Order: sequence, then structure tokens, then C-alpha cells
Amino acid sequence: MSSVTRILLLEDLPEIRTWLKALAEQVFPGAVITEAARVHDARQQISASRFDLALIDLGLPDGSGVEVVEVLREQQPEAQSVVVTIHDDDDHLFPALQAGAFGYLLKEQSREQLGEQLRRISQGEPPLSPSIARRVIQYFTAQAKNHVREQQPLMPGVTLTDRENEVLLWVAKGFTLPEIGVQLNLSRHTIADYVKQIYRKLNVSSRAEAALEAQRLGLFRR
Amino acid sequence: MHSLLRALRRLVLAGCGLSLAAAAAAADTLVLRSAQLQTLAAAPGAVPAAAVTVALPHDWQAADLRAAWYRMSFDAPAVPPGTLLAAYIPRACANVELHLNGQLLHRAGRMVEPLTRGCYHPQLVTLPASLLRPEGNRLELRLVGEPLPRVAARQRAGGLSPVVIGPQEALAARQASRLFWNVTLAQIIAATLVMTGALVLAIAWVRRIDYLGWFGVLAIGWAALSARIWWREAPLATTTLELLTCSAFVPLAACAVLFVLRYGGVRSRRVDVLLWAQCLILPAALAALGPQRLFVGAVACYAVLAVELAAAIGFFLWRAWRRRRSDFRGMGVIFALAALTVAAEVAIQDGRVALPEVHLIHFAIPLMFCALAIRLVQAFARALSTAEAARGQLEQRVREISAQIERNFAHLAEARVEQVAEKERKRIAADLHDDLGAKLLTIVHTSTDERISTLAREALEEMRLSVRGIAGKPMQLADALADWRAETVSRLGEAGIEVEWSGDEPDEPRTLPARTYVQTTRILREATSNLIKHSGASRAGVSCRIGEDFQLVIRDNGRGIPMELDGKLDRGHGMASMKARAKQMQGQCLIESGPGYGTVIRLTLPL
Repeated sequence: MSSVTRILLLEDLPEIRTWLKALAEQVFPGAVITEAARVHDARQQISASRFDLALIDLGLPDGSGVEVVEVLREQQPEAQSVVVTIHDDDDHLFPALQAGAFGYLLKEQSREQLGEQLRRISQGEPPLSPSIARRVIQYFTAQAKNHVREQQPLMPGVTLTDRENEVLLWVAKGFTLPEIGVQLNLSRHTIADYVKQIYRKLNVSSRAEAALEAQRLGLFRR
Repeated sequence: MHSLLRALRRLVLAGCGLSLAAAAAAADTLVLRSAQLQTLAAAPGAVPAAAVTVALPHDWQAADLRAAWYRMSFDAPAVPPGTLLAAYIPRACANVELHLNGQLLHRAGRMVEPLTRGCYHPQLVTLPASLLRPEGNRLELRLVGEPLPRVAARQRAGGLSPVVIGPQEALAARQASRLFWNVTLAQIIAATLVMTGALVLAIAWVRRIDYLGWFGVLAIGWAALSARIWWREAPLATTTLELLTCSAFVPLAACAVLFVLRYGGVRSRRVDVLLWAQCLILPAALAALGPQRLFVGAVACYAVLAVELAAAIGFFLWRAWRRRRSDFRGMGVIFALAALTVAAEVAIQDGRVALPEVHLIHFAIPLMFCALAIRLVQAFARALSTAEAARGQLEQRVREISAQIERNFAHLAEARVEQVAEKERKRIAADLHDDLGAKLLTIVHTSTDERISTLAREALEEMRLSVRGIAGKPMQLADALADWRAETVSRLGEAGIEVEWSGDEPDEPRTLPARTYVQTTRILREATSNLIKHSGASRAGVSCRIGEDFQLVIRDNGRGIPMELDGKLDRGHGMASMKARAKQMQGQCLIESGPGYGTVIRLTLPL
């Protein structure tokens, strides 16, 4: 995307940082790339300057990349966080997505694949694997149950629409996004929008939940 | 009371084949029922009293009697020649010396203090034929003893029964019988009582049951006291011995009362103190009364003890009636019999009833003791078996609970092991990712050789799958299918191969072991890679079926596997490894291929 001009690159291993930088330069020619190797450095960079995109590794020597995703979402909500990780399992990815990451790249993919994925994410087409979809479904189902049990009204903007749910269910069954588009007779763009909405709602709902939790703890403390 | 006793006596006598009436009726037997009595004064040098005629049995009532002569004359009964005659004296108290026609024939022991006391022992003296005259035989009996006022029981007051003259054999039988009933039986019973008492005492001591203890002491004490019947040679003056014998009943009665009260669950310090104080007071009172009034004192003493025991029994029965009916009936019968016997004995001592030939109290009371002992031991045994059953139940319960605890502990340990293993797996996985993963990644992205970076990428994928296998969480079959579908369809789609995925979803939730998931993923990935790289196919189909087992079929419309490659079996297509992996999961992987037919890979795995 042409609007991506400032990129934050957080990765502790120098070699990998080098080729990620090369990848970013290739996808976003002319962009200014700020490198960081630790969570602490990244926090400083975020408060010092603005970014359009951040490529964030999860396992870092002084903490988890999830913290950086959170900080970035709070301080620069318009910036896109993309998790770049070697961990493909939902145990690692889901917290990052809840924290506000907009997509993820699996490091071992070939340069071409990575480039393609990154381009798609920046254009608003984040990936969604069946296992992530299952986690998202589980999450929202549990949320709904909690609300019913505690008799709290569901917060607007944090529940999925029927269509979003439908898309999730198809993904969970192993259908690819283009297939779902064909199935539902929707354009590739529309499907991508649903996925984006799902990510956004996941993040909003997680934050609301965290806020509620904090409030509850505060009440109890008092 | 009187008639009842007589009836009892008759029963006892009939039982041993002894009948006075029958004996008297015999022609060859003579019963001497009167005698000339010449008393000897207690004081030395006193003038002997004049002889008087007395009827036999004769009891010594006069307080100053210590010794007396009984003179009788008789004609020898008509007996067949050669028959030995004898004199049978059922009762001569305390000791007797027999003279026939001026000749001393028999003396039962010492005639001076300490006397030999044979009050319970019948005497039989054979009369030598040479001394006997057909008519006018002189029979003289010298009797020593203490008169009624100076003894503690009518049974041991001086006196003489009628004397029987007759054939020795018949009389010997009567003597033996009387001796058995009056003495031997008392000995047997005493021995039995000692053993019973010892047994009960042992139980009482081991189990710490106080009422059994009192009962044991009572039984043994009673047995010891029965020595007065058979121990003739006690080395004490008769009056002293009488005082001791009477005094001994006081602690025995105390034991009896304590037993009854404790058995009834009563525990009163005041009663205890009174009972033990009585053990000192009553003997002291008896001693203070002096030997001249010993019998009066003794009768009063027995009456007091009988009343106390009766009161205790009455109290016990009253409580038993209110609390334990079963106890009331059993103990009630035994206590009623005991009370009857004691009452009869008190009546005898008071002189209301004639002195019986067989002393009921000697075996009625011990019999009652035995009945009581049996009852107590029975109750104890019942309690013991109840306790044992309870203990058995308790042990069973303890065993169950221990087993449960062990199970819980095993579960906990298992859970803990599981937890530790899980943690370790995560650590290993993280290490692999961070270390090996990072190195492989560097190769993937820095190698200029496409083949090497592909190999490194595959190694990385393998590593990730392996980590997943280590993590070991079983996978839902539906989820596994979704993952396989997403990967295969998107890979083939990106390679420009048209793909059709068909198959059932499992109708019920089923899980795949982590290893099976990982191995199947590898096989499918390998097959997909082959399809993309080598088949040249434009269309592919994947179908899966879930039944008894799981079947996955991958087919393409490519050129198939060339013959020359087929011959070498593994041709870099990883087919051997696919087959090996299927085999590891107890399944099989069949590859059908022919030029122009495309390739069909059938994977079958047990579920």
C-alpha cells in the first residue's frame, strides 16, 4: 500500500531481522524502517515516532511481542500490527490477535509467499486459519454464555453478525476464503471485510472483557 | 415355705435312692430314737448333772454344754449269720467317740480343742461280732462341740441324730450317699466355682469390666468359704472359727451387692463406703457380743445382709424393667431363685424350719452362680461379637477409605505428572522453536540454493509437527479434517490445480491421537507436494470416509508414476516414508498408478 511509509520491525535475531527488512523494503519500496530487538526498545520507538505498520516477533528476550501489540494499539490505533512468528499454533497467535494484531505471517514461508501475504494484510485481507477460527468461535460462545449467566446486556459492537458467524463456521470447517466467497456468492473484498470485522470485534471484546474484569477486581478490593 | 422345702427335700432324697421310711421299715435295721443324756459341765471339777432321757435328734441349746454322754441300749437285730453289723450316725456334731459294751470302738478325730469338726460328715462304725450280745447291748457316745448360742449356723451346733443299727453294707451305702450330698458335692462345686470365678475375673481384668470383677471375687470367695463344710481339721478354737466364718459372709455380701449394682449401672460412692464400713462394723459387733450370743448376732447379721442384697436386687430389677426388658427376665429368674434360697436358709437359721439332712444352700447358691456366670459370659460374648462385627465394619470402611485416598493420590500424582510433562513439553517446544527453529529459518531465508532452503523449510515443518506430537493433546477428528482441507485446498489452489474435496463429517465427536494427526498430516502433505511437483495434473480429488476406520483417497489426473521410477520404489517421492508412517499407525497406504491413469493414493487407518 502506498500509504505505508513508516515501519517498525521488532525481531531479536539479527539474520532474520535482516531478511525481514529486505522483505519489507521489497513490498513497501521507500518506506522508513525502524529496527528494534527488544520489547523495551520497541516501546521507546513507539512513544518517539509514529508508524503505519509494525512487524512484531512474539518470543523476545525481555518479554512477549503481545505487549508491544497492545501498546501500539493504545498509542497509535491507526497503525497495523502484524505478528511475524515461527509459532503457527493458535495458543500463540490467539492472544496476539486479541491484543489487536491484524494478521500474522509464518516465518518459514518462502519469500514470495511472505511478500504476498504481507501485501494482502496491508490491503485489508488478513489470513484466517481453521484453528484460529475455531478459537474465535469458542471465545464468542463463551462470552455470550457469560453474559447470559451474569445477566449483563451484550455490549454493542462486540457481538458477531450472522454473516460473520457464517464465515467463521466455513473457515473452521476448512474452507478457504475464495471458496467461501463462491459459496456465499460474495466478492473477495466482502469476505476480507468480514474477516477484518471479526478481528476488530475480537480485539474490542477482549478489551471490554479486560476492563470489566479490572472493574470487578476494583469493586472487590474496595 | 415349709411344705415347699419338704417337697424339695423329698425330691432330692428320692433322687439318690435314700428314703428314711423305707429304711425304717426294714426288719434287720434298728433306729435308736432316744438316749440317756449325761452332760459334762464346762467348768472343770463341777459335778456332772444327773442323766436325763432325751429324744433323738437332740440339739444342744444350753449355753454351757461342751461335752455329753449319750447312752443307749439295744438288742442285736435279727440278721442272717455272718452279716456284719454297724452303727450309722448321720449327724454327730462336732465330734464323736463310740463305745460298745464298755469298749472304745471309734473316734473321728481330736476330742479336745482345736476339735476335729465333722458336723457335715456322717459316721459309720462297724460293730465287732465278738463284742455284740444278743440282748442288752450298751452303746455309749461321747459328743464334744459347741451349743447353738455359741455357733454361727444351726448346721454346726452340737447335737446328735438318731443312731441306726443294721447290716454294715446297707448302712455304708447310706453313709456314702449322705457324704456325697453334704460334702463331696460341695467340694466339686467349690472347684467349679473357683474356675468360673477365675475365668470371669480374667475377663474382668482384661476388659476392665468392674461388675464381672465383683462377680469373680464373689464366686471365688464363696468357694473358699465352703471350706467350712469339708475342712475338719482347722487349727482354731471352734468359737473363733465360727466368728470368722460368719464375718466372712459380710464382704461376700458386699461383693454380691456391688455386682448387682454395677451390673445395673449404679455407681455410688456412698453405698461403696457403707458396704466396706459394714465389713468392719458387723464382725466387730459380733466379737463384742461375745461367744455366748454369737448365734443371735449371726442370725441378725444374715438378716441384714439378706435385706441389703434383696434391696440391691429389687433396685436392679426395677431399673432393668424400665431400661432393658430382656435383662429383667433372665436376671429376674436367677435373682428370684437366689432370694428364695437365702430366705429358706434364714428360716432354717431362725429355727422356723427343721434342719434338713441335705443343705440346699450349699449347691443352690453355687448353681445360681453358675447360671449367672453363663449369662454374664453369654452377654459378654454377645457384646464381644458385636464389637468385633463393628470393628470388622470399621476395618472395611478404613480399607475403603484408604483405597479411595490411594486412588485420589494416584489421580493427583497422575495429574501432577501430566502437568509436569505438559510444562516440559512446552519448554522443549519453545527451545526447539527458539534454537533449532531460528537456525532453520536463517537457512530458509539466507540460502541462495533453492533446494537447500526448501529442505530447511520442510525440516522446519517437520519440527513443528514433531513438537505438536510431543505436546500430545488429542485432536477432534472434525478439526483435523478442517485443517487438512484448508491446507490441501489452498496449496493445490495456489498451484493452479483444480481440487474437489469430498467426504463425510463424523456423525459423533471422535478424537485422533496427536501422533496419528501428525503422521497423517505428513502423509497428506507429502502426497500434495508430489502432486504439485511431479504429477502434472490439472485436477485432483480428495475424499475421506469415516466408518470402522478412516480412509483418505487422493487421486489426480496426472501422468502417473513412470515405470522406471516404480521399479526403484522410492524415487524421491517419499512414497516409502508414506507407507512406513501408515504402518506405524497400524494402517496402510496403497499407491496405484499407471501411465495415463493418474495416481491414486489410498490411506486407511484404524480409528
